[in-house]
Amino acid sequence: MTPRSTLLMQSARPLYWMMLAAALWILLRGHNEPGGGFIGGLLAVAGSSLLAIILGIPAALRLQPLAPLPLAMVGVGLAVLSGLAGALHGLPFLTHLWTGIGLSTVMLFDLGVFFAVWGALTGYVYALVDAGETAP
Amino acid sequence: MSHASHPESGGSTYLWLAAVPFSLFLLLTWGLSRHALPWQLDIPWIPSLGLSLAFRVDGFSAQMLALITGIGTWVFVYASGYLAHEPRRGRLFVVLILFMLAMVGAVTADNLILLFLFWELTSITSFLLVGFNHEPAEARAASRQALLVTMGGGLAMLGGLVLLGQMAGTWTLSGIVAAGPTLANDPRLPYALVLVLLGAFTKSAQFPFHFWLPNAMSAPTPVSAYLHSATMVKLGIYLMARLDPAFNDLLFWEVMLIGSGTVTAVWAAVLALRERDLKRILARSTVSALGTMTLLIGLPSAGAGLAVVAFMFAHALYKAPLFMVAGNIDHATGTRNIDQLLGLRRAMPWTAAAAVLAGLSMAGLPLSFGFVAKDIIAVAKAESELFTLVSYATVLVNAVAIAVAGVAAVRVFWGPLELPRNQVHEVSWRMLLPPLAIVFLGMEFEFFPALADPLLLAAARSIAPGLGEVSLSAAYDLEALLSATGITALIGLLFFLAWDRMHEALHTLNRFDRYGPAALYDRLLHGLARIAAWHTRHLQHGRVSGYLQLTLAALLSMGMFGWLHTDSRLELTWDWPDHAWAWAVACLLLVAGAAAAATLRTRIAVLMASGLVGYGSAVLFLFAGAPDLALTQFAVETVLVVVAASVLPHYGTAPLQQEPLRASSGVLAAAAGIGFSAAGAFEQSAGEWRTRRVVRSDQPGRGPWPQCG
Amino acid sequence: MSLILMLAISIAVAVGVLLVLSRDVFRLIVGLAVLGSATNLIVFAAARPGGLIPAVIEAGATQLPAAAANPLPQALVLTAIVIGFALLCFALVLGAYLARQGGQQNVDRLTAAEPAATDPVKPPVLEQ
Repeated sequence: MTPRSTLLMQSARPLYWMMLAAALWILLRGHNEPGGGFIGGLLAVAGSSLLAIILGIPAALRLQPLAPLPLAMVGVGLAVLSGLAGALHGLPFLTHLWTGIGLSTVMLFDLGVFFAVWGALTGYVYALVDAGETAP
Repeated sequence: MSHASHPESGGSTYLWLAAVPFSLFLLLTWGLSRHALPWQLDIPWIPSLGLSLAFRVDGFSAQMLALITGIGTWVFVYASGYLAHEPRRGRLFVVLILFMLAMVGAVTADNLILLFLFWELTSITSFLLVGFNHEPAEARAASRQALLVTMGGGLAMLGGLVLLGQMAGTWTLSGIVAAGPTLANDPRLPYALVLVLLGAFTKSAQFPFHFWLPNAMSAPTPVSAYLHSATMVKLGIYLMARLDPAFNDLLFWEVMLIGSGTVTAVWAAVLALRERDLKRILARSTVSALGTMTLLIGLPSAGAGLAVVAFMFAHALYKAPLFMVAGNIDHATGTRNIDQLLGLRRAMPWTAAAAVLAGLSMAGLPLSFGFVAKDIIAVAKAESELFTLVSYATVLVNAVAIAVAGVAAVRVFWGPLELPRNQVHEVSWRMLLPPLAIVFLGMEFEFFPALADPLLLAAARSIAPGLGEVSLSAAYDLEALLSATGITALIGLLFFLAWDRMHEALHTLNRFDRYGPAALYDRLLHGLARIAAWHTRHLQHGRVSGYLQLTLAALLSMGMFGWLHTDSRLELTWDWPDHAWAWAVACLLLVAGAAAAATLRTRIAVLMASGLVGYGSAVLFLFAGAPDLALTQFAVETVLVVVAASVLPHYGTAPLQQEPLRASSGVLAAAAGIGFSAAGAFEQSAGEWRTRRVVRSDQPGRGPWPQCG
Repeated sequence: MSLILMLAISIAVAVGVLLVLSRDVFRLIVGLAVLGSATNLIVFAAARPGGLIPAVIEAGATQLPAAAANPLPQALVLTAIVIGFALLCFALVLGAYLARQGGQQNVDRLTAAEPAATDPVKPPVLEQ
């Protein structure tokens, strides 16, 4: 691994947590205002990529809830699950339902998108970073 | 190369699969004994397209079903013996069952589109079965030829059926037949009939499409016996006979059928004399028989309907066993060349017995159902006024049929055994029982024609409603028959004796082969491949920039075409929105990023410059009421730069080369820049016009855009 | 359409086309990105942008405010952005792989997938 600046090494983790917080905020905000799972997922990917580039892939993997592929699978599973809720009520698949207190199956769907983007793209980035380390 | 004496290789022989056609056969006989014909079933499928699962079983369909399931049962038994050592036999049985079901569908379908579906399904399964031994190139070519010829005809038939359906205003076959006479004056009728007949002629191997059937003999013999003699090739005959009551009065129909039928019958009979391969001889004679059937359908008399039905029945009952005999000989000796086959009766007595009995029927001699059928045909022909030429032709055709029967049933079995005795042996019971059983069935109908009476008369009445009270038994008049067929039999005997000499003489025909339809087919196919290769060479040259230039030029000329053929106009204003400063900043970012991307020389800088274009459009989105887009674009551009940065090492570190500005690229870029952005402006005017209309026609007070959420 | 916007889009499209027609594989991919952004803008601009108000239904309301932006092109462009992003991710790796395989970065010489023909009819055989 090529040597990196100490400043970057030290600030990587705090930066990651800040980006993750922003990602979550965007994700939750998406319910009523601009934002949502895809953008939040991209922000989380940016954070994870930062970690992977500065501290290495193992460090980035440790701070992710699941390995990329399982994460993406859970995401897709959640999205499908959210669609089934409507189907169980006799409505077409992916018809979304709202409860009174601002919770909804849409939220679940967005969370699924969040995980799917986070998982799929970090898998992609890690593979690239890994190949980049060994590039000629 | 013989297999039959070896112990069977592992795995099932699938003998039990014969239960599938047999149970269908039992179901059919049970149904016939309990319920009066016709049976009908209609389940709507896509009513708006005139497509419904409409089935109708009348006498003719019932006869076809009896052949498909009855012969089918024995073919399955035969196949289980014939393929006992074939490791891939499971595949063949699957396709064979699929084929049988498709046949059942095709002869019971009443809906035109449904008929087409089943029809093509039989073509596809035939393709898979002919190409079952796919290693030899000839087998692949033969299966492709069978597919292209019959599918091409099927496609034409679909066009004809749709035309017929539109003219008659109904999508059922029975409805078309009922409406037949009223269609006579429609100017579209000849086109529709030619198209339908193309389908029937290709399927039943009528001239000039007769060449695919002998080539299809590369199929395993059970397939040849089932598809290419007893059932599938009769599908064209089936359709023509079905439609005959509607169009029988048309001179056009009569001339087409009698003309093509006669030419096919004669030409195929001549070609049969040129063959040395037993299966190909039989295939040629099958084509000849199919020609006779087409000719009979074309005859205007009602008795011809009975003749078609009886001949079809008789033909299936003798041709399928003869194919099985040929398969047994092939299996036992490893050759089908009649020059090497002599005296096989000593080694294969049971096969010889089946061959002789089937040959009797084929020659139309007493002791066989073919005898009865031949008489009915003679009566039908006598009822109609035939051109003298056609009458002579039928004598020739019958004589050749007798000669072919002689070759297949007598010549190869009599005389001294030429092959070493230890090389030839009788085949297993699974391959002996089916031909014997079918032949005995045929004999039974000869001695007790009353057994076949109900089935055949019901069938004949379905396609010839004018048929009076007749009986097959009544037609059985030994004395008259003998005198009528005597002369034909004599000529046939001469042909048989002179087979080899005629074969030599017909070599002179070889020089005409390269002008025949088979050669034309080859040339067409080859030409198609050449054209494809030529145009691939010139369009897929492997140069990416060439692809992109072509794509862009095509896109631009399409846009130009659209612009010239509509009255849309450019709508450009200097108007500034309230937040003009933001738009100006966005446009500035956009232009600066683009300019930098085009001129910078380090990859990372070019990358970031392209990111600037993305940021510029994001800013624009932000100030145009699309914060979601803006957020997404920002996030995407950022992550893209991160991703690209991790790929960059793979592109190396050398700076990008300065590229000369090519004239073609410059012109295309300028044209695209102006053309595509102008397209946005055009669309705007059209879009505004539409939204205004929507607002006016919609409830006033509603927002101009459809609701979401 | 505002002329200034059209001018900016024209320049972006022209530059995108120039980059795409470049013989360098990296410039080609960047050109795809620029052309993609410009195309999104064309679609967006074609639907009369102007309103600053996002296409979000206010709490309690049942329909969009009359002056809200048109949500239809936004939906189209949003999809296009996401798909364009995925396409570029793929193209970047494909380009890198091909450049390394071919040992050079001239797109017209990267013909591993389409080798020159040797037979008048049959397609060329791919070498593994």
